[in-house]
Amino acid sequence: MIVNKISVLIGGEAGAGITRSGFLFAKACLRGGLHVFGTNDYQSLIRGGHNFYIVRVDTEEIYSQADTIDLLLALNRETILLHKDKLVHGGGIVYDGEEIALNDEEMDRDDLKLYSVPLKRVVKELDGPLIMRNTVALGATVAILSYDLEILNAIVRDAFKPKVAELNLKAAKMGYDYAREHHAEESTYRLERTSLAGKRWIFLTGNEAVALGAIRAGCKFFAAYPMTPATPLLHFMAPLDREYNMIVLQAESEIAAINMTAGASFAGVRAMTATSGGGFCLMSEGLGMTAMTETPVVIMLAQRPGPSTGLPTYSGQGDLRFAIHASQGEFPRVVIAPGDVEECFYETMNAFNLAEKFQIPVLLITDKYLVESHGTAKLFDPNRIGIDRGLLLTADAYAGEEEYQRHKFTKNGVSPRATPGTRAAIVRTSADEHVESGYTTDDAELTTKMTDKRFKKLDALTKDLENYETTKLYGPRKADVTILGWGSTKGPIREAMKLLGKESPTINYLQIVYLNPFPVANVQKVLKSAKQTVVVENNKTSQLSSLIREYLLMTVDHEILKYNGRPFNPMELLQKIKEVL
Amino acid sequence: MSEDSHPFERFLRDGMMPHIWCEGCGNGIILNCFVRALKDIEIDVNKVVVVSGIGCIGRLSGYTNTDSYHTTHGRAIAFATGAKLANPELKTVVISGDGDLFAIGGNHFIHAARRNVDIQVICANNFNYGMTGGQYGPTTPLKAWTTTTPYGNIEHPFNLVHLAAASGAVYVARWTTLHVRRLTESIKKVLQKEGFSFIEVITPCPEIYGRRNKMATGIEMMNWFKTAAEIRNASDPAEAEISPEKIVVGEFIDAEKPTYDHLLREMMKQVQERIRGEK
Ligand SMILES: Cc1ncc(C[n+]2csc(CCOP(=O)(O)OP(=O)(O)O)c2C)c(N)n1
Ligand code: SF4
Ligand SMILES: [Mg+2]
Repeated sequence: MIVNKISVLIGGEAGAGITRSGFLFAKACLRGGLHVFGTNDYQSLIRGGHNFYIVRVDTEEIYSQADTIDLLLALNRETILLHKDKLVHGGGIVYDGEEIALNDEEMDRDDLKLYSVPLKRVVKELDGPLIMRNTVALGATVAILSYDLEILNAIVRDAFKPKVAELNLKAAKMGYDYAREHHAEESTYRLERTSLAGKRWIFLTGNEAVALGAIRAGCKFFAAYPMTPATPLLHFMAPLDREYNMIVLQAESEIAAINMTAGASFAGVRAMTATSGGGFCLMSEGLGMTAMTETPVVIMLAQRPGPSTGLPTYSGQGDLRFAIHASQGEFPRVVIAPGDVEECFYETMNAFNLAEKFQIPVLLITDKYLVESHGTAKLFDPNRIGIDRGLLLTADAYAGEEEYQRHKFTKNGVSPRATPGTRAAIVRTSADEHVESGYTTDDAELTTKMTDKRFKKLDALTKDLENYETTKLYGPRKADVTILGWGSTKGPIREAMKLLGKESPTINYLQIVYLNPFPVANVQKVLKSAKQTVVVENNKTSQLSSLIREYLLMTVDHEILKYNGRPFNPMELLQKIKEVL
Repeated sequence: MSEDSHPFERFLRDGMMPHIWCEGCGNGIILNCFVRALKDIEIDVNKVVVVSGIGCIGRLSGYTNTDSYHTTHGRAIAFATGAKLANPELKTVVISGDGDLFAIGGNHFIHAARRNVDIQVICANNFNYGMTGGQYGPTTPLKAWTTTTPYGNIEHPFNLVHLAAASGAVYVARWTTLHVRRLTESIKKVLQKEGFSFIEVITPCPEIYGRRNKMATGIEMMNWFKTAAEIRNASDPAEAEISPEKIVVGEFIDAEKPTYDHLLREMMKQVQERIRGEK
C-alpha cells in the first residue's frame, strides 16, 4: 500500500473542464494536509484537441510533476492511448467503460487496473451538463483512493455557486458510491488526511502570486493586452481592480500597454504590465523610453517557446538574452527570474522597489510552466518586504531652492522625482536625449554626461543588490557536481536532487535569481570551488552559459538543454546529469 | 510681471526661444493659440500636462511652461491615457502631428476616442512628415507631391474629423492657422470639457510641403486657406472635404457622453460599497 504519494493525470478534450477538475482534486488533497503540485498541458485550441492536468501529491514538499503517472482519469479514449505508457506498473485508469471500449491489442499491457465508472450515465440520470462527468470521476477517484468525500464536498461547495454545487455534490456522491461498490479494495494507493490538515498552505499559480505581489506592493495601474501565458494575470487582476483601487485596463496592443504604464508611473503611481515574447517585442521601444525618461515600470515577460508566435501554450526559456538586451541604446535595467510561486510573490515586490529606487524598468522573466502551474506555498508574509518608493516627492509643492529639474545630476545618478501637478515644479522630460530640466538636446557634452548619469545608477543598483538574494545555493556547499539554472527549472532540479538522495555523485544547485545586473561575485564564489558544472536550461543555445562566459570568462563543463516546449521531468533530468558526467 | 514682458510669459519658456520651426511654419501659431487659451480661462497650469509625440510639432511641449512628456513617435495618446487615469486631476493635452497621431499612432487614437478617455488631442495637420524631410503621410491629399510621392500621391487621405467622430470623440473641430480666434475658442472649450476631444489644425509647412506644391511661402499657404476655407459649424464631418478649392472648417461635434474615467470611478465606488456591505 502506498499512502499519500501519488501522481494523477486528468485528461480529455479542450473545453471539457480538465484544468478545473485537476485543480479541485489538488485542492482536496491540500485541504487534507498534503503537499501538491499541479501543472497543465493544453493546446492553442478552444475546443477539441487534447488537454491534461497532472496533480502530484506527497507528504513532503514537492516542486514539480513526476516522470510517471499512478492513476489516469481519462475523460476520453485518446487520453488512455496517449498516456498509458506513462503509467507505472500496476497503475490504474478511471474511465467510462460504457462509452469507451478498450481492446487488448491497443492496450498491450495487462498490469493496469481498470476502474470503469459510468460517468455519462450518472450525468444523464442527474440531468446535468456533460462537463459534470469530471465531478463523477473525482468522486470515484476519492473512493478508489479511500480518501474522504467530505473534503471533496467542501471544495466543491467553495468552487461553485450554490445551485451548481448541489448538483455537483450529487454527481460526486454517485461516482463515489459506484466506485465503493465496484472497485473497493483494488487500489494500491491511498490518500489520508494528515495532521497538517487545515494548516494554512496556499495553492496558487505563478501568475496569481505575481498578481498578489503587485497588489501588496501597492500597484495602482495595470495595463496589458492578452497573450498566453501572461493572460491569466490580466484575468486575475481584472476583478480585483475595483476592490483595491487599482486600474486594470485592457489596452489595444502591447505598445499601448507599455506606454499607458509609463504614463501612469509618470503621474506618480506604481504601474505594471505583462506579456509574452511577441508582446514584449512590441514593448521594446516603450521599454527604452521608460529608461530614457527614468520612469519606473515593472514588466512581466512570461516566455513561451520559439520565435514568432511559437508554441502559444507551451514553455521555454529562449528570451533571456532578449530581456537583457531589448531596445536600442544602452541603459541599466534589472532582470529577475523567480523560480517558484513564493519567489513570484516576493520578487514582484522587490521589482517595484528597485524600479522606483533607481527609476528604471524592471523585468520579471517567467515562463508558461511557472506562471500556469500550481504550487503549494506557506502563507506569504506580507511584511517581509517593505515598500520603498525611493526619491519620490509626495509633497503638494516642491520646496527646493533651485528650480526643479527632473533629471538633476546627483552623486548616485538618481534624481528626486516629482510628479505632474506638484506646485512650484515643472516636471518635464523627453524620450529624446535631454538636459537636466528635461529639454531635448543633442549637445555632445551633455549626451555623455546624461548617459553617465543613467549608468551611475547601475553602480548604485549593483551595490544595493548585495542586500538581495540574487543567487541561492541548494544542497551541500561542496559537491561533485554543481548545477546552474534560472527560473522554472528550479522545480525539476530540486526534485532530481531529492531523487538522488544520498547517492553519489553529490550535487548542489546554484539558482541565479537576478540575471541582470549579473551577480558576478556570488556566481564566481560558487564556481571557483565547483568540481564539475552543468547548466540546465529550456533553450537551444544555453544563454546562461553565455552569460557566465561573458561575465566570468569561464566555460561550464556541460549543458543540458531541452527546448520542445515541455519542462524537464525530475528522473529524466537526473539521468541526463549522470549521462553527461 | 514687468511692463515689457510678454503677456504669455507665465506660460512660455522664454529661455527656449527662438524655437526650431522654419519661417512661415504654422506651429508657432498653434502654440500661441494654446497658451492664449490657457491664459484666458485662467486654468491652474499646475494641473496641465502637455504630452507630445515626435515630429516638428512634437517639440511644442518643450516650449510651454507646464509639466510635459515628450514620448516616442506615435505614443502620446497611450501615454496620456495612463497619466490621466492615474491622476484624474490632471488636464492631459496631447499635441502632435498628422503622422504621429494617425500613421504610427492611429490605433491609439481610435481606441482612446472609443473609450472616451478624458484627454484633449490637438493635431497639427501639415499634410506630411515635416521633421523627417517631407514624406507623404495619412493626410497627404491625392496627387500632392512629396519626397516619397515624386509622381504625385495615389493614396487617399484620411478625413480626420470624420474619423474622430466615427471613433466616438465628444468634441470635433477643424480650423486652419488662419482661424486664430476660433481655434483659441475651441481650445478653451476642450480644456473645460470632459471627454475625448479632437481639434484638427490645418497648418502651413511651406519649407517642406508647400515648396513642392506651388506654395513656397507661409503666405501662399495661408492664402490657400483664406480662399478655400468655408465655415460650416455642426455640419456632417463626413462631408468635410479638403481640396484645392475648398477646406471645410468648423465645430462639427460637441456632445456629452460619460467618460471612461467617470465610469471607472463609479464602478469602483459601487464595487467597494458592495464589498463593504458583504463584510
Ligand atoms: C519608431 C519611429 N519611426 C520613425 C521615426 C522618425 N520620425 C520622426 S518624426 C516622423 C514623422 C513626423 O510627422 P508628423 O507627425 O506629421 O509631424 P511633423 O513633423 O509633420 O510636425 C518620423 C517618421 C521615429 N522617430 N520613430
Ligand atoms: S518642416 Fe514644416 S512643419 Fe517642420 S518646422 Fe519646417 S515648416 Fe514647420
Ligand atoms: Mg505632419
